[in-house]
Amino acid sequence: MDPLVITKGRYTYAHDVKKGPPEAIDVHHIMVAGGFMFCTYALLFAITGFLILLLLLNITSVCQVLMPDKPVASVLWSFTLAGFTLRQLLRKQVEKESVVILPAFGVQLETTYKSGRTVHHFVPIGKILKPVLNECVTPVTCYWSLSLILRGEEELLLVFKELYPPVTMLVPIWKALCAAIDDKNALACIQIATLDDAL
Amino acid sequence: MSQQGKHRILMVSDFFYPNFGGVENHIYYLSQCLMKLGHKVVVMTHAYKNRSGVRYMTGGLKVYYVPWKPFLMQNTLPTFYGTLPIVRTILIRERISIVHGHQAFSTLCHEALMHARTMGYKVVFTDHSLYGFADVGSIHMNKVLQFTLADVSQAICVSHTSKENTVLRSGLPPERVFVIPNAVDTAMFKPAPERLSSHEIVIVVISRLVYRKGADLLVEVIPEVCRLHPNVRFIIGGDGPKRVRLEEMREKHSLQDRVDMLGAVPHAKVQSILITGHIFLNSSLTEAFCIAILEAASCGLLTVSTRVGGVPEVLPDDMIVLAEPDPSDMVLAITKAIHLLPQIDPQAMHDRMKKLYSWHDVAKRTEIVYDRALNCPNQNLVERLPRYLSCGAWAGKLFCVVMIIDFLFWRLLQLWQPDRDVEVVPHINLTSPQSGEEMWDSCAADERCR
Repeated sequence: MDPLVITKGRYTYAHDVKKGPPEAIDVHHIMVAGGFMFCTYALLFAITGFLILLLLLNITSVCQVLMPDKPVASVLWSFTLAGFTLRQLLRKQVEKESVVILPAFGVQLETTYKSGRTVHHFVPIGKILKPVLNECVTPVTCYWSLSLILRGEEELLLVFKELYPPVTMLVPIWKALCAAIDDKNALACIQIATLDDAL
Repeated sequence: MSQQGKHRILMVSDFFYPNFGGVENHIYYLSQCLMKLGHKVVVMTHAYKNRSGVRYMTGGLKVYYVPWKPFLMQNTLPTFYGTLPIVRTILIRERISIVHGHQAFSTLCHEALMHARTMGYKVVFTDHSLYGFADVGSIHMNKVLQFTLADVSQAICVSHTSKENTVLRSGLPPERVFVIPNAVDTAMFKPAPERLSSHEIVIVVISRLVYRKGADLLVEVIPEVCRLHPNVRFIIGGDGPKRVRLEEMREKHSLQDRVDMLGAVPHAKVQSILITGHIFLNSSLTEAFCIAILEAASCGLLTVSTRVGGVPEVLPDDMIVLAEPDPSDMVLAITKAIHLLPQIDPQAMHDRMKKLYSWHDVAKRTEIVYDRALNCPNQNLVERLPRYLSCGAWAGKLFCVVMIIDFLFWRLLQLWQPDRDVEVVPHINLTSPQSGEEMWDSCAADERCR
């Protein structure tokens, strides 16, 4: 099947169907682009400015905390601090979030960061009661989000934890999740029916 | 925006369900009747404890409980420009054509109306209460009202007395103020199925026990009436700071068997309390309109009330006995009411009320106001500023500065998040058995067409 691709603003949606036993596996990706490059350069600029400021403070010996008698050490220390801050910020940058629907088995939620790290979260199909499209209201805005109602849990599970994709991209994923849950429910009903017949 | 003259209305107020009160009920019933007429209504209010986000009420009435914490007497913290982003988002995503604000005491209402005017929407304001002119609180409130009403498309008041009060406080030209009284849900407030026996007269009082509602008058009136008429009993429903005074009065005159204090009565139980009585006593010191006496009349009770504010305009003369807000005058009025009781037929009273007051009538009249508001000309910022200048020597200039800053913030917000990036909500028909997937398919089709 040809992969379906929709692009809107910073977000790109791609739909893949992989062949795999026992049935086809549905994969939906939401990728974020563009914002990162600007952030890097702005960040580098900010960090350079921060370092220059620190150096100036060291030279004028105003700041006691930064060991004015050891300028080399304090410069190295400020570089380390800047590097650490940059690394923390980069770790948070999301490249892609995916939803892998394994029919009759479960749903895998994956978050891939720019640093290459991937976080997986698997939800067994029996635990999902229903996928819902929710309107979330914050003090400054209102947006759509896709969540799963889980059996036995009070809180909804967000499918896309870091990204806020537009609702046109959420709808096909929601429909695919609904179809997978309905198939599983139908299968369960047939199994119960055959069990009753056998008894 | 509007098809075949149907509007998309945003009701804004700090006062809405789960609170019960005059303003809250007014917004709810008006919204339901407007939806029956084919308009789309969305309500915006602040969050109540953990009730936050989007909720749907009967008939598909969508309510936005915006998570701004209330800070004083149910009002949202006034930040002037803090609510601009969320108001703009709601107006665009719901494709609103008219914004209708309720109650002069609601800060969220004033802010939302200001932002709606900045963004070019037509605005209607309804005032539900009477306010004074002399104390510090009233003076500031009136200035804020003057600011909001300087540029409102149309205004509505609930009685002619209220219209006079609003026009004097705000300087609004009287031609732009409509009078549309409140109404009562006569289907809910029905008289008792059997007539009560008349050997013991029961007088019912249901109100918040606060100074404004005349609780102090009750403290004087009740012992006197009990002394003059041995067959009279009182039922007092409601709670408040003055409850202690009433309890003391009961103790002092040993009226425990003749005065029942019920405490706070939930709105759903009000009718069952009213039908146990013959007479309804209202001792308010000020009222723009009084829905409580409408509810009482709909249940077939004869009303005795103080002649204040808009109360004389509410009921026909044969359903109400009026008195000055003075204990001796009220005692005389109650005596007169007791003598009039044999002539009262509760069912006939209820049938008359059904014809006199109905929320459908209020909705039709409000629709006319909306049509008039939409016909007002569109004006840009420069044309609107002179209206604010006339509010006062210093206040006028201050208001102009506030509006200019609001306009600049709006433009900045448009640069950061353009209007087309705000996703429009598809039309969800909650009353028809349409599956969720079909609804989103039709919404996607709409989007492609646009």
